[in-house]
Amino acid sequence: MSAEPHAMERPQGPAEVAARRVLADARELQGVFLRTLYWTAKGRREPGEVARQCFEVGYRSAFFLSVTMGFIGMILVFQSGLQLLRVVPDLTLLGATFLELLVRDLGPTIAAMMLATRVGAGIAAEIGSMVVTEQVDALRMCGVDPVDHLVVPRFIASVVMTAALVMFSGLVSFAAGGATAWFVFDVQPLTYINFSLLDRGDLITGLLKCVAYGAAIPIVSGWCGLTTRGGSEGVGSATTSAVVNSSLAVIMLDLVLTGAGFVVFV
Amino acid sequence: MIEVTKVWKRFAAPVLCDVTLTVPTGCLYGLIGPGAAGKSVLLKCLAGLLRPERGSVRLFGQAIEALDEVSLQAVRNRVGMLFQNNALFDHLTVAENIAFPMRRRGITDESVIAARVADRLRAVSLAGFEQRLPGGLSGGQKKRVGVARATVTRAEVVLYDEPAAGLDPVTSQKIFDLLRREQQEAGATVVMVSSDIDRLLTVTDRVGMMLDGALIFDGTTAEAKGSLHPVVKQFVHGEVDGPL
Ligand SMILES: Nc1ncnc2c1ncn2[C@@H]1O[C@H](COP(=O)(O)OP(=O)(O)OP(=O)(O)O)[C@@H](O)[C@H]1O
Ligand SMILES: [Mg+2]
Repeated sequence: MSAEPHAMERPQGPAEVAARRVLADARELQGVFLRTLYWTAKGRREPGEVARQCFEVGYRSAFFLSVTMGFIGMILVFQSGLQLLRVVPDLTLLGATFLELLVRDLGPTIAAMMLATRVGAGIAAEIGSMVVTEQVDALRMCGVDPVDHLVVPRFIASVVMTAALVMFSGLVSFAAGGATAWFVFDVQPLTYINFSLLDRGDLITGLLKCVAYGAAIPIVSGWCGLTTRGGSEGVGSATTSAVVNSSLAVIMLDLVLTGAGFVVFV
Repeated sequence: MIEVTKVWKRFAAPVLCDVTLTVPTGCLYGLIGPGAAGKSVLLKCLAGLLRPERGSVRLFGQAIEALDEVSLQAVRNRVGMLFQNNALFDHLTVAENIAFPMRRRGITDESVIAARVADRLRAVSLAGFEQRLPGGLSGGQKKRVGVARATVTRAEVVLYDEPAAGLDPVTSQKIFDLLRREQQEAGATVVMVSSDIDRLLTVTDRVGMMLDGALIFDGTTAEAKGSLHPVVKQFVHGEVDGPL
């Protein structure tokens, strides 16, 4: 094998290598993001595939998400009730405060973190195994952009179903919290169900979060799947990084949207 | 015409070292070489699936290493490819696998698609396998479905990576003869990688041999058979004694 020319072997420090890798990753992720938007607007797709993904993302996560959110509602109401009692022995606003927190932040964010583990791992594993068996290359040879064929149906399903799931599991959470308030602190349901603190800003912020999380999870996980290297081991690490990265994306979006919501709706 | 000029590709180590190669239009080009010589990587560079670090690959007069994925799609619509491991879509039936490239090229008439799929399956002696899933096929059957999918669109350029691997001698000769016949009928430009050198050389126009990422021989089939290059001679005639 002939020697490689020297020009290609400019020495690089570890910091430069790391910075280059982060930049390359960011560019790839941006590419997947833009192509997803492009094909969502332009691509033609079989409705069956989107429906199948909706079932995959939505129906199959509904039970898991409701149970988790129900328990979280119970725990949160119990803990905040105890804290409140130490400061002011008045729990009439317990339900109203919890509802605002749930709509504005906790409902979408916790549900999305749960979805990131379930949906994100599934997307990355499925796409990753298609990469290592060269099925993605075969798609490209058929003139298909893998983002169009694999990511976009999951993207549409995820955006729609995340919003639906958040609303449903938020309702479960609020109800479970109400039961806790009633049994533990003797707060009557009619006192607990109180919409007075909920305003337009809360609803808009909450809804925007649902959409942003629902969009971020399939894009980040699809990117992790599409950049799988090696064999089944590569699929494993793609799955792990899909869960880690989409959870990170959810938290970062939470920070950004919470900040923006606070500035816009004071 | 396929023109490869000084293509350099590396993974952990260099895999293609300044490969220069021309395949004239309408030529069936056989690419041979020992394992890990870089044959499959070269084929993927021809298809634009891998991007070389240096050098240029021209297909239909276009330098494809400069194209983005969207423009590449137009080029790839004129190229068929069989992967070494077949790369069948495992969630689709055999019939849907074969029909997939046609559907993506805008053919929507179901009767046309069904007729063409049946014709392809008959050509590879798999009639009646339409509704099977790839997971339930033998290695050789998968390979033949892969061949059927690569040829279904009658592309102008077809790249075959081991079209006869895992097939018995009779079936592999039939496949080679089939691919040669269809290549001649369509006037297609074909690059065929195969380890079954005796049978491959019965159908090729030209032959190239790769060794450690370099193209060490390029000539007509007769020249390959009569080559005095010690490595080529040993490899083509399957001798045990020699430099390899
Ligand atoms: N995706 C990849 N990542 C890293 N290395 C690779 C990759 N693909 C191929 N290689 C390396 O490139 C070299 C050439 O591989 P290639 O698949 O082209 O061999 P080949 O000539 O097709 O061999 P065979 O006849 O066994 O199929 C090998 O050493 C292989 O390890
Ligand atoms: Mg190979």
